[in-house]
Amino acid sequence: MSASERASADAAVVFNEVSKFYGDVLGVNRVTLNIPPGITSLVGPNGSGKTTLMNLMTGLIHPDHGSILMRGISPRDPEALMRITGYATQYDTAPRWATGFTFITTGLLLFGYSRTAAEEKAWKALERVSLTDAANRKVAGYSKGMRQRVRLAQAIAHDPEVLVLDEPLNGLDPLVRAETIALFRLWANEGKHVILSSHVLQEVDLISDQVVLIANGMIIAEGSIRTVREEIEEHPSQYLVRCHDASGVASLLFSEDHVTEIRLNSDRMGLLVMTTDREQFARALGRIALNGHRIEGVVPADENVDAVYEYLIGGE
Amino acid sequence: MSAAHHSSSGRARPVGFSRLKQVWTIAKVELRRAFFAKRGLWVYGLALLPAVIFFAHGLQVKVRAERLTRRGLTEAAVINTLREGEALADVKARVGKPAEERWGTRVRRVRNTAVNKGTTAHVIDPAVDARFVRLNITRPAYSGEQVAKIFDFEIYGADERQNLALGHPATGSAPCSPSQGPEKAVNGSVGGGKDDQWCSEDWPLFLQVDLGAIRPVKRFVVKHASAGGENEDSDTRDFNIQVSTDGKRFTTVATSSGARYADERTEYRDLVYFDGRREARLLFVDGKLDSMRIEPLLNFEEDRTIFAGIFQYFYLRLAIFFGCLGMFMYLFSGEMSNRTLHYWFLAPARRDVLLAGKYAAGLIASTVIFAGGALLAFGVMVWPHEAVELQSFRAAGGMAQAFWYASAAALGCVGYGSVFLAVGLYVRNPIVPAAVLLAWEGINGVLPPVLQKISILYYLQSLCPVPAPIDSNAPTLIRLLASPPAHASRAAAIVGLLVLTAAVLWIASRAVRTMQISYGAET
Repeated sequence: MSASERASADAAVVFNEVSKFYGDVLGVNRVTLNIPPGITSLVGPNGSGKTTLMNLMTGLIHPDHGSILMRGISPRDPEALMRITGYATQYDTAPRWATGFTFITTGLLLFGYSRTAAEEKAWKALERVSLTDAANRKVAGYSKGMRQRVRLAQAIAHDPEVLVLDEPLNGLDPLVRAETIALFRLWANEGKHVILSSHVLQEVDLISDQVVLIANGMIIAEGSIRTVREEIEEHPSQYLVRCHDASGVASLLFSEDHVTEIRLNSDRMGLLVMTTDREQFARALGRIALNGHRIEGVVPADENVDAVYEYLIGGE
Repeated sequence: MSAAHHSSSGRARPVGFSRLKQVWTIAKVELRRAFFAKRGLWVYGLALLPAVIFFAHGLQVKVRAERLTRRGLTEAAVINTLREGEALADVKARVGKPAEERWGTRVRRVRNTAVNKGTTAHVIDPAVDARFVRLNITRPAYSGEQVAKIFDFEIYGADERQNLALGHPATGSAPCSPSQGPEKAVNGSVGGGKDDQWCSEDWPLFLQVDLGAIRPVKRFVVKHASAGGENEDSDTRDFNIQVSTDGKRFTTVATSSGARYADERTEYRDLVYFDGRREARLLFVDGKLDSMRIEPLLNFEEDRTIFAGIFQYFYLRLAIFFGCLGMFMYLFSGEMSNRTLHYWFLAPARRDVLLAGKYAAGLIASTVIFAGGALLAFGVMVWPHEAVELQSFRAAGGMAQAFWYASAAALGCVGYGSVFLAVGLYVRNPIVPAAVLLAWEGINGVLPPVLQKISILYYLQSLCPVPAPIDSNAPTLIRLLASPPAHASRAAAIVGLLVLTAAVLWIASRAVRTMQISYGAET
């Protein structure tokens, strides 16, 4: 490893073939990622593995296979890692005894700050999330949005280099949301990692430098938002077409540019079609039907991935 | 680890002292929970129970001494002259009015054993002529059982020498069994056990003997159940004897009723004299001094022994055991179920530091509660005793006992705390591990020496200043289980306990290092 490579690895969040199982249930599967500084959004439906990835980054859970380095630090070394990392989880809890202010101050004391310095930083963090009014009230009495913000404040209070935020925009009112996004941008411009998760692509695609699409614990696309969009559109889709004159329909379909592959079913009653353009494929099928071929039905064959894309980018 | 050189951010990693500071910061936060957890308040109850018991005892003694004193003191020398067997009136005249006097009579209904017991004889004077003699049984037994049992029925004539019934034909109500027919009552013997009697439960119950010819009869002898060796309660209670010359018209010549009971009365009288220190309790039975107990109202030595017993059997074995279970087992799993554990995991601290902080908090709280509870109980135990007695106790270094009790309690928290902290990292439900550990600690006394050393109680018992009281008549096994001999010197016990604790904490630190947050459904 050359010095420059090491420097870039030291500055990135790196997943190398990481798998995590919950008992028999797959959490994430063979995830390899290299996330440079900037705003990165992990996008995928609920249950796709976003939180698992974030818990893995921060050492709350450990991978069954593979390795992770956060700017060169292993998540198994919280003493070093958590100095440069802040994580706002989705776990909507806080110690019963804590007010917003004491909660954050106590956390800061563990960094070795003096009480004065810790209180100063805690206050600054609460200011950043506009929670100073409620600072001295018990967290247990906060509204959901306020609890969301106090967790954000807790994550940023020690000015970390890597911020991991699980659904940070959930439950924020529009004003705070805009302010928060502005903060993310500011931090990203300072060279920090801002890694956030969302299950709505539109929510984050404008603010992210890169997005990582996840479904069923697997990374299905990664890169700048433009690359990912293209990747989504270029991704060939498979359809299962049921018809009486399978070979006739196949020969007609095969003349279309967007069709890359056709396989005949052994019963000669259906075919598996691979297409790069779903709209054109739909139109082509329409023409074929008008020409007198009986088409009994069309079913997407790779439903999972398709469903994710449609869910994320809003379908056709 | 290798990441050290990567913390290039310019912020130094904490080492040594700063880690200790982290431990203390964590401990301070956890202390609040350790002391004031709502579901942990019962721990205070356990810790304070001995103090409450001794306080109640001391208070009761003080109140009693005060009341006895108010009723009048008796000189110690006079009390010393009391002897068993003295009459009540004499004692009262000599010693004076007692501070307390209570009396009662016990009445016992006793059977009049002079009647119908064993063998009864019935004389008719003058003799009457009879050929048939009939024994009618109207109430067959004192026990209430409706079974007539006659071992022998003898009839004598005017000369009173010859048993006229012997061997003569006898009839009667149906026998209980074929081997217990009426002939058995006229065979002249009683020594043959259950088959040497006439037995019948067929009402009306009667036994009739035919003398063969009209004879003058003068005396009857009836041998009842107990004459044949059976229980007295089976003796015939009420019966009568009839005679007849023709077997048709019978005349009653004797009646016997055993329904006679006597009331046996015993008077018991308790007198209490008090000389300001000792209490003399005298028991008079029917006006005579039957027994007496003269002992100090407060017995320091006895109280210390009771304290030793409560401390070893209740405090060490149960209170501290379960207290530490409650205080240490949930240090991690409690935060797991509250979903707050990740905040600690996200702090820039080694997992061992977190473990140490939590353990320190539990230890401080449990030591304050249980060593404090032990000291308080010892103080309350000492409190009611006389200044003179205390002074000599103190002069003999007795107050060191308090120190050792507190130390044993504190080290109990050290040991049991580490064990339950470790157990809490591996299992969530406390019932099974608690039962297993309790059993393990319980059978410790009968284990081979090597295994004994893997037990907290083994070391704690060596620290206790007074051996726990145990009935020396108890079987050896029980004695060993309850109070195995102190095995180690104090220094060895302390070192041994700390080594055991360190080993347990090392196991715990391995578990906590690989611990993962799992709050249920993960996405």
